[in-house]
Amino acid sequence: MPLTGTPNSLNSARSRAPRSEPVDPVPVPGGASIWAVGGGKGGIGKSFISANAATIAARSGMRVILIDCDLGGANLHTCLGVRGTPERTNLSDVLEDRVVDLDKIAVETPVPGLRLILGALGHTGTAQTNHEQCEHLLQGVRRLPADVIILDLAAGMDRATLDFFNGADKSLLVTTPEPTAIENAYSFLRAAFYRRLSYAMNGSPVRDVIRDAMSQREGLRTPDDLLAAIERVDPAETERFRSVIRGFRPRLVVNQVRTTDEVKMGFSIRAVCRRFFGVDLDYVGYINYDDFVWRSIKERRPLVTAYPQSDGALYIRQIVKKMLKD
Amino acid sequence: MPGRDEFTFYEILEVMPDATSQQIERAYRIARSTYQPGSVATYSLFSDEDNAETLRRVESAYQVLSDTRLRREYDARLRTHGSQPAGRSRAAAAVAPARPPWTLRPPTTFGLEPDESLEPDDGVFEGGVLRRIRVARGIELDEVATFTKINETYLQHIEANRFVDLPPRVYVRGFLREIAKCLKLNPGRVADSYLKLYDKQIPRV
Repeated sequence: MPLTGTPNSLNSARSRAPRSEPVDPVPVPGGASIWAVGGGKGGIGKSFISANAATIAARSGMRVILIDCDLGGANLHTCLGVRGTPERTNLSDVLEDRVVDLDKIAVETPVPGLRLILGALGHTGTAQTNHEQCEHLLQGVRRLPADVIILDLAAGMDRATLDFFNGADKSLLVTTPEPTAIENAYSFLRAAFYRRLSYAMNGSPVRDVIRDAMSQREGLRTPDDLLAAIERVDPAETERFRSVIRGFRPRLVVNQVRTTDEVKMGFSIRAVCRRFFGVDLDYVGYINYDDFVWRSIKERRPLVTAYPQSDGALYIRQIVKKMLKD
Repeated sequence: MPGRDEFTFYEILEVMPDATSQQIERAYRIARSTYQPGSVATYSLFSDEDNAETLRRVESAYQVLSDTRLRREYDARLRTHGSQPAGRSRAAAAVAPARPPWTLRPPTTFGLEPDESLEPDDGVFEGGVLRRIRVARGIELDEVATFTKINETYLQHIEANRFVDLPPRVYVRGFLREIAKCLKLNPGRVADSYLKLYDKQIPRV
């Protein structure tokens, strides 16, 4: 059944703009809450969701910093109407120690309360960012004066992207209902999980077992298989393994949804992840396919400010509400 | 898929042993769409044979758990076996000393938990809002009809705000309360809010 939604004329989507974002500001105790938005595949709406989620949080009165973690083809700035050029100071300058203070490179955006740290344009020098660099960067991110910090991750699943995804307080896995995007989402999730697991089990006698599981050798297809294998090698390590599984709970968003069946696909993906990966995804919502999305991108404005009454804006607000309350 | 023989019917549908009939129905529908032939959610992970086998088990589980008498008998059999299906793996037992089946995969409510974020910011539960909440929970209209015993045509009228096609007010209030329960919303708030709109169109006599 198609998703007909609310009447979507240009005027109705624009003109009935709420005076303020209807999301209650939630104080974040003990520093910023770091969110990461990833998903493996390009073009699934990671930057769009990051920009709009950040805008909603900022308009509810929070101090928000958006970080474009794409170190090659950054374009988050365009979603916000900020001009980006390769000469501007960006995240790669921090990773390569040309800049120490992250706060100083966060630029203002047209949205009050929202600042942006640019990603790298046409830069390839930091493709091999190592785990220590990522850890160091995340420590710097945690010191930023903000309530919410959103990391817009690059496509693909290089180590830096996985480390940012794992290092965030709340990780958002984005997919669209297409087979290619879902396949990439599973691969991304699996890679992130095993990277997390291998760091958590550092120095453990079962690391070889985990390596076998990562390469799907020895018939280790599911976490149940892995658990059984770990138990055979060192029963004492099963508790550590269980705590890693419990601590890994990404949130799932299905973007560009057109039908109710595609809405339900989020529940299916969740069921598959539970059964096949042992990972308990939290399906926080979907965003329907909406012409106003591309209109807003062409206008280089966040959807939630350009067309606050559009369906897409409504669904993103619901997702942000959930993210802030969890 | 390995290890499937070790699961109880509740584990196959991924519901708790005290799941309501609505939760069982919900879980069944999601499992059916997840493992159906050509499913986009599973094609890259499972073969068609794997999916067919999973579906067969899902159907068997549903047949028993959706029938009150069969479910009671099955529960009695599970109790006799100490709530553990025969042949459960040593690994699974090691993971789950207290409540066996769900230590690695805790039970799910399949989108049926109370969720304030789905509710409208202005508190107005008009038909479009009820539809949006239903869709967000992945619930089809016929599923609402099954649980509320309300004719699907009336449900369509309610979601489309076609007040003139609805029965007298007292019935509409009853419908709205049942729909709200099915969607895990506050029945009183939903009925009061919707009926305010209804009263504007259909003056009370």
